[in-house]
Formats: sequence, C-alpha cells, structure tokens
Amino acid sequence: MKITEKSKDGLSVVYNITVEVAELNESLDAKIKEIAPTLNLKGFRKGKVPTAHVKRLYGKGIMGDLLNELVQKGIDQAVNDNNVRPASNPEVGNVDNVDAILDGKAALVFDVSMDILPEFEVVDVATLSITRPVTEATEEEVTKALEEIAANSKAYEAKTGKAKNGDAVICDFVGKIDGVEFQGGAANDAQVVLGSNTFIPGFEDALVGVKAEDETVINVTFPADYGVVELAGKAATFDIKVKEVKAPKESKIDDELAKTVGLETLDSLKDAVKADIERQFASLSRTKAKRSLLDALDASHSFELPPKMVEAEFDAIWQQVQADKAQGNVDPDDEGKSEDELKGEYKVIAERRVRLGLVLAEIGRVGEVQITDQELQGALFREASRYPGQERQVLEFFQKNPNMMAQLRAPLYEEKVVDYVLSKAKVDDVKVTREELEAEDEEPQADAKPAKAKKAAPKAKKEETSEEKPKKAAKAKDEAASEEKPKKAPAKKAAKAKE
Amino acid sequence: MTTDARHYDAILAPVITEKATMLTENNQVVFQVPLTATKPQIKEAVEALFKVKVKAVNTVRVEGKIKRFRGQIGKRSDFKKAIVTLNEGDTIDISTGL
Repeated sequence: MKITEKSKDGLSVVYNITVEVAELNESLDAKIKEIAPTLNLKGFRKGKVPTAHVKRLYGKGIMGDLLNELVQKGIDQAVNDNNVRPASNPEVGNVDNVDAILDGKAALVFDVSMDILPEFEVVDVATLSITRPVTEATEEEVTKALEEIAANSKAYEAKTGKAKNGDAVICDFVGKIDGVEFQGGAANDAQVVLGSNTFIPGFEDALVGVKAEDETVINVTFPADYGVVELAGKAATFDIKVKEVKAPKESKIDDELAKTVGLETLDSLKDAVKADIERQFASLSRTKAKRSLLDALDASHSFELPPKMVEAEFDAIWQQVQADKAQGNVDPDDEGKSEDELKGEYKVIAERRVRLGLVLAEIGRVGEVQITDQELQGALFREASRYPGQERQVLEFFQKNPNMMAQLRAPLYEEKVVDYVLSKAKVDDVKVTREELEAEDEEPQADAKPAKAKKAAPKAKKEETSEEKPKKAAKAKDEAASEEKPKKAPAKKAAKAKE
Repeated sequence: MTTDARHYDAILAPVITEKATMLTENNQVVFQVPLTATKPQIKEAVEALFKVKVKAVNTVRVEGKIKRFRGQIGKRSDFKKAIVTLNEGDTIDISTGL
C-alpha cells in the first residue's frame, strides 16, 4: 500500500492511496482461505471446497468486501502515518475501473480527501485568569424568602362575627337550577376564601357578611364561557349553610412556620432557605465564570479551523434560524438585516463554537478528563426521569442508540472540562451584589435562545458523531465540539458584542 | 465444427463436486449427459460447444438409489456421467456455464 499526499490546502488534505495488484490478490487468497473451511456447498464435503473453486464462484463478492476493508485500512494508515487527526468523515473519490479491480486485474487507486484537525498549542490553563462573580445570601434575602413562605402558607383562625373579604368561610352548599339539583353543584365543609376568585363570579361576593350558623340562599349566574356547557350562562341558586367563618391568621416567622413546611425549627428553615439561595447564586456564578472562561479561551486561541466542521456547524445554525423564521420568531436583533449580513454573523458564531469545541476537547485530552460509566448512568437516569411512566422505554432507547448516548455524554464531558479548567486556572472571585450577579446573567439567558441552540444541537451532534468513526482520538474532539452548541448560542451576542 | 441443436442435447450439465474439481488437475471435465448419449456424440458436442479438442471420453451409468418413503419403494433416476479428457492446453471453465 502506497500513500502519497496529493494536495494540501490549509487543513484540507487529499491523499492518494495505491494498492498493487499483487497485494490485492494476496489478500483475496488469504481471505478465501479463511472462509473456505466454513463453506458448505453441494457436491463437496463441508469445508472441503477447493480455494480455486471458491474464488471462481465468490471471488467478486469477496473482493468487494475486501476493497471496502482496504479503503478503510488505507485511510487509517494515511491518518496514522501522517500523524494527523481527521476532523471530518474522509471522502473517497477517484476510483476507476472498478470491474477490473474486482477481477483482481488492476491496482486499486483512490483519493481520500478530508479535513484534519489543526495542530495548536493549548494555552496553559493555569495562566488563564477568570473572573467569577460571587455573592452571598444576606440576612435580608433570607428574611424576604421566609416572608414569602409565610405568605404562601396562610393559616386561618375561627372568628365570630361577619365574614369580610379575605376571610374563609366553611360551608355546605347545594346548587340548583330551576329548583333541580345539578351535578357537581353540592359540597360539604367546603372552604371558600372570599375574594380569591376561585368560585364562579358572584358566589364569593354573596357570602360577604354571613355569620357562622347562617343559612341563606344566593342567586348567581354561571358565566357564558363556563367550562361545563350545560351550565354556562344559566342562573342558579345555592342553598348555603355556613358552618364557620375564619379570619386569616397573621403567619409569623417562627418554629410553627417551619413545621408547616416539614422542618423542625426556624433555624433549620433559615438554613435551608439560605442554602437554597446560595445554590442559585452558585449556579449563576458558575455560568458567569464559564462564559468568562470561554471568552478567555476564544481570545487566546487563533488557529485555522477545519472548513467542513465550520460548515456543518453553520448549516445547523442556519437551518434553525430558517425554521425559526418560518415560524415567525425572528430574533429581534436579526430584524431588518439582509440575508448576507445574517449569514456573516452566524458564520462567526459557528467558527467560535468550533474553535471552542476543539480547544475544550484538547484541554480535556491533555488533562485526561474522562467520564466514568457511573456519571453517564446518572445522566441517563436523570434523562429518563424526565419522562415519567416511560422510563424503561427511554433507557432502552438510549441503550440502542449509541449516537444518543454520545449526545448525553457530550454535555457531561464539557462540564467536566470546564470544572477541570476552573480548578487549574486563576479564578478571581469578585464580590458582587445580587443584583449585579443576576443582571449580568440576564444576557446569557436572553441570548441563549434555548430553542435555537438546543434544537440545532442534536442535529449537529449526529453529524459529528458519525464523523467520529475514523479515529478514537477524534471522537472526543467531535463530542466536545458538539457540546459547544447548546451553550454557544450565547456566542451570538457575545460575538456581536465583539464586532 | 459448427454448433448444432443436437450438440446441446448431448450435454445436460456440468458435474460440480469435489471429485470433479480434483479431476481438473488431469485436464478432465465431468458432464452429466443423457443415458442415450454415446461417446462420439459427447466428443463432438464438447468440441463444438467449448471450442476445444477432446482426447478421450469415458462414460459411466450411475444407477439411481432405491429410496423408501413411508414404506413405499421409490427409485431415483439413473443418469450418465461423461468424463472428458481434453487435449493439452485446452481448458473449460465449468462454473461460467454456456
């Protein structure tokens, strides 16, 4: 097998591979010898078919298989010998006189064209400086959160006297239309909160001013758009028997409140609330830090990108943009721009995504970041639990589709790499107020345009996973590249901001 | 020698078995022929159809086996095999057919 580099243009290379006739026939004979002992033909004892006869009968078919194998082997060898890593699925072209080759009379000559991954130096992650805004939950915020909880868990206390708005009335009622009871119109010991607008209009108003033990009849009309057609627009009477009138109790922030939400003491409630708030902050500041990290990485790397990867990425984005447009959700930023302008913008994003994907993958490779099976399993179960009742099907689906597994693995891998970098890099914690933290994070949310990013991602991922075949090393790369997608929609704004 | 319809009648099929393939080493090919075919007829047919020179033809009548099926006695058909020895240098590729 002879491999020569036919042409090289940036990251696209074309290799010319030649397999001589002798080599072809040799491998064919070897192959036939391999299968002959298992053949069972009529007229021959099992496995006793002469090689020559097998060749005459099945030579072409076997040769076809053999050619596929040799092509694959040639590609592998070209990749290995030249010490490159393919970034795209290698394309085979320029194969002539297939018939002669199949007959073992002509040498197999073909061209392989592919994009290779650029060689680049990853910056020493330790030199990166990343700002991470952090903030702590203040006493005030905890109190505020506690007050919210208190307001939500309103308690009522029995009172004497007339019911007024805001009070709860415990009563039995029987609803009648034209003197006949109708279905679903009766209840015992129902709690009606006056002014809560949970009952049909007029019902609660009519109860204002009742006292415990009162019995009254009220007239209400069902609204015309009432859910039950037979009742809609009908006038009805309700016989009401008031049992109790309750006034809302001022709920205080104390151990009682803690108990209503299932905790022992107020202190533990406070801790829980604080932890919850801090968790939110932590995830916000992590998102921030990650953005800062990606910006830093993007800024510190500039190398040529494999055109095919960029193209695939761009196509995915563009397709999504078109789909959005067809549905009428045009990005406000995109309005009034010509198609060419848009394409230019999205091209920049696609390049950034690919670049960051490559960089992250490289960092992960150098840093030997790996995903354990356990982590993958964990992610799988989380995914499955999103479809209650169909967990089993979901699990099966993932087990049967390695591509889908790769999609699961991608974000995990990315997170781990980011964690790894964050642990190595110089991270400056900047104290900010809560407002600042949230304000800054408005942006990623606003431009995350989840629909755009997420939908685009799976498609692109599939493409890339199929590209993973040529080499294992390439696998991680492609994965990471695809990982970039969900998050890198934000890149759009970031990219724009940079312009 | 030109081919004729009777040439096609003189040869039924090649016999492709282990034994027959082994005979190719001696420059011999094996055909199944009608029970009525004679050596000169076979020689003429092979020479006309395959454009080769035949050195000799040996024939053998193969008796059909007696087979029992559900107690009934049956008999497979008899057939005649012709082992044709070709002149040095001539070959026939049996598997490609006519």
